[in-house]
Amino acid sequence: MDAGLTQPMVQFFHVYKAYPGDPPSLSDINLTIGKGEFVFLTGPSGAGKTTLLKLIFCAEKATRGQILVGGRNIARIRESAVPYLRRNVGVVFQDFKLLPHRTVADNVAFTLDVLGVPRAECRERVMRMLKQVGLEHKASSLPLRLSGGEQQRVVIARALVNDPTILLADEPTGNLDPALTLEIMGLLMDVNVRGATVVVATHDSTLLERYGKRTLRLERGRVVADEDGLKAARRMVAG
Amino acid sequence: MSALAKGTYFWRSAAQGVRHAPFVHFIAVITIAIALFTAGMARGLWQLLDSLIATLGGQVELTVYLDQSAAGWRAEEVAQALRHGSGLPAQVIPPEEALARLKLQLGELGSALDGLPENPLPRTVEVTIPPGRRTPEELRALADQARALPGVVAVDYGEEAVQRLSAIAGAARAGGLLASLVVIIATIVIVSATLQLAIYSRREEIEIQKLVGATDRFVKAPFLIEGVLQGLLGALCAFAGLWAFAAFAGPGLQSLFSFLLGPRGGPDLITPSLVVELFGAGAALGLCGSFVAVGRFLRV
Repeated sequence: MDAGLTQPMVQFFHVYKAYPGDPPSLSDINLTIGKGEFVFLTGPSGAGKTTLLKLIFCAEKATRGQILVGGRNIARIRESAVPYLRRNVGVVFQDFKLLPHRTVADNVAFTLDVLGVPRAECRERVMRMLKQVGLEHKASSLPLRLSGGEQQRVVIARALVNDPTILLADEPTGNLDPALTLEIMGLLMDVNVRGATVVVATHDSTLLERYGKRTLRLERGRVVADEDGLKAARRMVAG
Repeated sequence: MSALAKGTYFWRSAAQGVRHAPFVHFIAVITIAIALFTAGMARGLWQLLDSLIATLGGQVELTVYLDQSAAGWRAEEVAQALRHGSGLPAQVIPPEEALARLKLQLGELGSALDGLPENPLPRTVEVTIPPGRRTPEELRALADQARALPGVVAVDYGEEAVQRLSAIAGAARAGGLLASLVVIIATIVIVSATLQLAIYSRREEIEIQKLVGATDRFVKAPFLIEGVLQGLLGALCAFAGLWAFAAFAGPGLQSLFSFLLGPRGGPDLITPSLVVELFGAGAALGLCGSFVAVGRFLRV
């Protein structure tokens, strides 16, 4: 999908991010991701993929530059407004961030609890979401009893249960075998088809090649390429 | 609908928090219970002192003792002279009435007086002193006047005792307030420390709450409710302790103080206002402790 044809959902204007004492994690990032677009972020470890995702959901603040999410400048957002922005952004974390002592259903319900969704409605939406990710039979299980792929699907369910307009996934298939990788990617594609903007950070060139989606390549904190998945995959394999 | 759901979630989350770290909350509940039990006992003691002062204060009178052999007419003369000189009501108390009063004051022990071969009490004249005239100077002048009358062997007035008791009650109240302040601060510190541990043990949960869009108030509310729950449970324990004290030690103390306060004894320890105060103070203590904890430790 060409970002130029759609309404922009995420825009970076000359964004810098630096931590004291370290070289900049991100330098002069300029990009636009359209509404309903599916974008891969790729690049070597330490290129700044996770930092870029964190800037979008305000887990980090840009050192310089402007970031617009849904038309709102989040570089100037008040601290108290951050939670309301996050309610529209689903995040699939690389390290899952599941609560080990809560059931799968409780972990997924967490997002709805924050919104104050009544218990009965919450239960219904959680079960519907778990069914979508194929885990309705594991609703009462504890996360540690699940496989890596199942845990990843719980995280996706938690990120999607409140129908966010943006889904950010940081290496969502990093530790999964090829079959599970396709399963998880299928879920993310479904979400995109339903209208959400999806940004996936990945190292996996086979995913870029298979799905052929727009790919932003980061190196040393800079966007060095903005191309389709096939080209990006070939470049990765060649270089 | 959303506020109700959030409220339900806060209480559920607070209850889960208590279940998650029962020992930590047990320490806080016991601390609050001890503080409130102590405060409840101090309250009872103050009420007893107040009641003692009111009883003694209400009975300030000048008692004039006549010679054992003084006849009734002599006592009437003394009473009339005092009425005339002071303008205050003076009443002759015959030995029989004095003995009957003593029996009543002694309560169960009063029956011991039945064995006396003869009434040892002399005739007395009682002069009731209204509050406006209970100055040491006036009482002393009246006592001197009484002593000068024929047949009078002794004069007694309880003003000094009342003053001493008032001073003791004042000191007890000031000391109690100071001790209460120390206990309240210590309780808040302990409650806040236990809640800090509870917050620390749930830091992962808090982090995820923040990442999925929880506001600061949303994160903090369950911990504040946990504090209130601790306070209410502490108040319940303190109430049980005070009730047990009143049930087991109360009758003995009532008969002990009936000597000073009459057959009804002192004021009741367990009253509806005590229950309200205990639970209100418990909730306030828990809430203060949790406010301190979330303010210092939960920088979300």
